[in-house]
Amino acid sequence: MFWEQLLNGLTLGSTYALIALGYTMVYGIIQLINFAHGEIYMFGAFVGLFLVTVAGADLFTALIGAMIFCMILGMLVERIAYRPLRGKSSRLSALISAIGVSIFLSTLMALIRGTNTTRYPNILEINTYHIGGLEISSLQIIILVVSALLMIGLQLLIQKTKIGKAMRACSQDLDASSLMGINVNRVISATFAIGSSLAAAGGVLVGIYYNAVWPYMGMMAGLKAFAAAVLGGIGSIPGAMIGGLTLGVMEIMGVAYLSSSYKDAIAFAILIIVLIIRPQGILGKKITKKV
Amino acid sequence: MYFQGKTRLAIVLCLMMMFSLIAGCGGGTNETNGDKAAGDTIRLGFLGATTGSVANYGIPGEKGMKLAIQEINAEGGVLGKQLEGIYEDNKGENSEIANITTKYITRDKVAGMIGDPCTGLTKVAADIAQKNKMVIFSAGATGEGVVEIGDYVFRNTLLDKFAVPVVVDWMLDDQGWKNVAIITSLNNGYSTALTPVFKQALEARQVNIVLEDSVNDGETDFTAQVTKLKNSGADVLVFTGYYTEAALIMNEVQKQNFDIKLIGGDGLYGQDLAKLGLSAVEEKVIFYCGFSTDQPSAETEAFLEKYRAEYNEEPDMFSAQYYDAVRILADAMETSGSADPTVYKEELAKLKDYPGVSGMTSFREDREPVKSPVFLLTVKDGKFALVNKLPVEVK
Repeated sequence: MFWEQLLNGLTLGSTYALIALGYTMVYGIIQLINFAHGEIYMFGAFVGLFLVTVAGADLFTALIGAMIFCMILGMLVERIAYRPLRGKSSRLSALISAIGVSIFLSTLMALIRGTNTTRYPNILEINTYHIGGLEISSLQIIILVVSALLMIGLQLLIQKTKIGKAMRACSQDLDASSLMGINVNRVISATFAIGSSLAAAGGVLVGIYYNAVWPYMGMMAGLKAFAAAVLGGIGSIPGAMIGGLTLGVMEIMGVAYLSSSYKDAIAFAILIIVLIIRPQGILGKKITKKV
Repeated sequence: MYFQGKTRLAIVLCLMMMFSLIAGCGGGTNETNGDKAAGDTIRLGFLGATTGSVANYGIPGEKGMKLAIQEINAEGGVLGKQLEGIYEDNKGENSEIANITTKYITRDKVAGMIGDPCTGLTKVAADIAQKNKMVIFSAGATGEGVVEIGDYVFRNTLLDKFAVPVVVDWMLDDQGWKNVAIITSLNNGYSTALTPVFKQALEARQVNIVLEDSVNDGETDFTAQVTKLKNSGADVLVFTGYYTEAALIMNEVQKQNFDIKLIGGDGLYGQDLAKLGLSAVEEKVIFYCGFSTDQPSAETEAFLEKYRAEYNEEPDMFSAQYYDAVRILADAMETSGSADPTVYKEELAKLKDYPGVSGMTSFREDREPVKSPVFLLTVKDGKFALVNKLPVEVK
């Protein structure tokens, strides 16, 4: 049972990681906790559902479609709700604006779709494979593989491309990057676009895996992913991945070996303990305060 | 103090406005002859929500009540008088139902009140009704502490504490399941109340409970719980929550590729069970409830026909229970020869083996209803289908 539970944990964790990446990227560059990120993930799940049910798309098309839609949505949110506030008012106003966007988006979806839970149709044949004593379903393989590919793709983008280099520069110092001729607004837009598309992918995968999408699904998932990002060290991309996987495994093991009643309590208690010992998170860098 | 004509008029108008604000909650339909004591008709007040989050219970309830009143009037009424229903929407809110109950009693001078379908709201109304010596007849409250409020409080619904032992007997004797797992939804009051009822019934039969686990409403990841269930050696799963989580649990069971049936209460009675579960719930989820349109008795059959003709839709448990409640109340008035609650409540309490459209109904000495039979339903081809009818004995 241990290995099966570990697999359950890794699958759950990789969806957390996909969402956590968006938090950590945005925070890394503009130090904003984008509370609307969970709702972007929810929109991704619904756009995927729409493509599958109405347009009859397959999983791959739905995934790409949802990612593109949320890319635009993410940039739009940044343009409308965050950019006008940037530099002009305190960081707190942007945070409040983010909470506003979050409520707006979830309520908007509730108005469009109603609040009941809906499911993805069965678009995939679910096979179960036996590897040793371990049972693994094709869905779990798909989620793990797609998440891994997306994360590798992200690393390549950040490390090997020009826009990635610009992002890294911006995360070190926005003003200096701007002085060096980097179009900071474009980099921030790109950050939102990439983060949002990863969240959308997470939304579609979760929709298919758990068969449940509803307008308020982003709230708790966003909170967990945010916790995962903090656990891994907010601002650090590998940290978000490790944080997501760790949180997922901790939650599942908590249910499996301790008690389901304390599922969230266990996960968050471990989070608090890690942060007491390592305030910067698992992979976070120690920040020497600039004055 | 003397007021000039216009001032006096203004004061009178103000008072009238205030009065209508206090009394006219929800802008009801039958307020025209407000203060007139009910002389020529016998009035019944409807308690239920037709808007808001529990409107799914109130809307069919109101339809059932209207149908019953219409029929009784066509048959010549009660005690030579016509029945008149008064319908206000309490929106499922405690403050609204308190206002409406008071209005029914003091202003409309009703002879009895039918509703509410929810336990919490019924208790609010029952407190007021008991103090004013007014009969309240809930058509849906299943929770504890309702009829205990007083001798003017009645209810007409299948109670979990009577249904569950019958269902447990069926699980053990009919299906031969021996090892039972129970999953509770912790943030669901219905579920946390139903689990002890199941546990008590199972323990009374010395059943081996191999796994006790929990989920939360609103969660979607049940992989860990289902993996535990798979390794627990349980023959059957009892889940006491609502349909959404039941469907998601069964989806996960299907994904983890093993075979187990899920037994639950009428909290699973929602169309979304089939929509969310698809093939995972087909003939796998079985739940009990007090009403089914499958294999109806003669009374239910007649009710079904009339209801379909009147509303062009299928009745549900609530329309049947409201319908029965009105009928039972009218019978009690007729037999006791009075529409005075202090008189006819004695007759009402004696109800035994009433062949209602929602099943055979009797009141025990403590006025708790015992309804028979219990219906076991499952999902077949995306629709609810009858598995079995189980008789309930009055103890």
